[in-house]
Amino acid sequence: MENNKLFLHKGIVYGISTLLLIPILATFIYSLSSSWGATILPDGFSLKWYGALLTDPRFIDAFGRSLFICIASLLLATVLVLPMIFVVFYYYPKLDKVMNLLILLPFAVPPVVSSVGLLQLYADSTFQLIGTPWILVGTYFTIALPFMYRAIANSFTAINLKDLIDAAHLLGASTTKAFLLIILPNLKKGLLASLFLSFSFLLGEFVFANILVGTRYETLQIYLYNMRQTSGHFTSALVMTYFAFIFLCTWLASRLTRGNNL
Amino acid sequence: MSYVTINKLSKRFGDVTVFEDIDFTIEQGEFVTLLGPSGCGKSTLLRTLAGLDKANKGEIWVDGVDITHTQPQNREIGMVFQSYALFPNMTVEDNVAFGLKMKGISKKEAQQDIQNMLDLVELDGKEKFYPHELSGGQRQRVALARALIVKPRILLLDEPLSALDAKIRKNLRQQILDIQKELNLTTIFVTHDQEEAMLMSDRIFLMNQGEIIQQGNPEDIYTKPANEFVAGFMGHYNLIAAETAKHWFDIETTSKVAIRPESIYIKESGRQYADHISSPKSATVVSHQLLGNVIRYNLKVENEELTVDLLNRSSERLMPKGSAIELLFNLNEIQPVGV
Repeated sequence: MENNKLFLHKGIVYGISTLLLIPILATFIYSLSSSWGATILPDGFSLKWYGALLTDPRFIDAFGRSLFICIASLLLATVLVLPMIFVVFYYYPKLDKVMNLLILLPFAVPPVVSSVGLLQLYADSTFQLIGTPWILVGTYFTIALPFMYRAIANSFTAINLKDLIDAAHLLGASTTKAFLLIILPNLKKGLLASLFLSFSFLLGEFVFANILVGTRYETLQIYLYNMRQTSGHFTSALVMTYFAFIFLCTWLASRLTRGNNL
Repeated sequence: MSYVTINKLSKRFGDVTVFEDIDFTIEQGEFVTLLGPSGCGKSTLLRTLAGLDKANKGEIWVDGVDITHTQPQNREIGMVFQSYALFPNMTVEDNVAFGLKMKGISKKEAQQDIQNMLDLVELDGKEKFYPHELSGGQRQRVALARALIVKPRILLLDEPLSALDAKIRKNLRQQILDIQKELNLTTIFVTHDQEEAMLMSDRIFLMNQGEIIQQGNPEDIYTKPANEFVAGFMGHYNLIAAETAKHWFDIETTSKVAIRPESIYIKESGRQYADHISSPKSATVVSHQLLGNVIRYNLKVENEELTVDLLNRSSERLMPKGSAIELLFNLNEIQPVGV
């Protein structure tokens, strides 16, 4: 009886895992096969699609642009959000509820709707924002906000903020020093986790990039979209490369956040 | 002039008055306790002294200097928190060195001071540990060392023992007292535990609803409660209505009288009693609780319920529920109390 149950549970877990892995695996095999047309099995394997991809300067550029936009947005988010959460938690704890509502807004409005709104808003502005990476940096900042705020806010609730700052004050530290020397090191875990999470999410963002900027500043996802008409093997290789990169990031994130037991 | 002088100190949060017109003085090297139930304003008073909460009115003088508007950083007041408030990202050593570092003294220069301080709180060998690797009692000793190393003029202790279990609490209590006496440190201790207050303090300020109800040494506070609240808070005082007291003890009083449970005896036959012991009154045992070395009886005398504590000398003497007994009162210990 017990064994049967265990068998059933294992069966369900493995079954679902396989089901989830099949598309990835299929894409992977497809990206490795030289051609795979009317037969059940591919005709032969080769790395030529990867070769073609990695030597395509358009891909390297798109990748670079995506990295730039993501890192810029996350830098902006860190610089703005960290002090903001500190102010919310230390001076106005009641605002936490308001913030929790505010940060849900990017989720509440579908990207298609908000991007049209942004287009209307910035179309006639005196400086050209639409079509430049800067509008994406701003938009991605709002997308990253919920992830950043939640994770860092959790780190804040985990420490005894008020007493720590009070103790630091009485030992002669200014509020800024207390924040830099005591609070910031304790937020490292939450900050890193949220950064990696937002990073993987932003790297895969398509809707805003397509509507607000499009081909004028080709990011990774736009490149992928533009390449959809070329060989399926090629796009598979592209997807797999992107996937491997995200996987690496996730792995790094879990390593970094688990490693230091503060 | 006293070392610490508090003058008409008041604190409000919005419309809520936490305390108003508090006055007191503390001498150098004195161990003073702010005692009171939770919400009486004792912690806020302590935080106001530290400068962590701003006073709305009044003055704080320390050693002849008005520090009412001084930033907490410059008050030279040390504080130990109930939550320890150790910096989780720093080792024991770095925690202790923090105050010196803020003064521009490096860990290297202060090595000897840090070592001495850790020896004082008996934490030598734990320099490289992180707070989360220490027990509650050890953490609180790190907090104490961290507060003491900068040689504060006053040490504030905000319920430092409340989060600890009984045995560690007892040890740390003694350790704090020893260090306080050794350094002749002016100390203000906040607690809601009357036993702790009695054991540690030179003087107790008993607070309720933002007022200091009574101040004095532990013995005076315990034996001469100023009013009903103090009587209720300091022990298990029996309160007897004025009418009944007149009738029972043949005394003149317009207010209630208080008598401690240990000042009422159960009459033993064949024993001679002194003059200050009242004539016997019959009573019935309603219930009893075993507190260890003491048995607490709940008794009924006429229409009054009384609590009487007797030493738990032997189990044969335990009186079961319903027993009829005779009670004697120590007339010297009967205190009229105000409301």
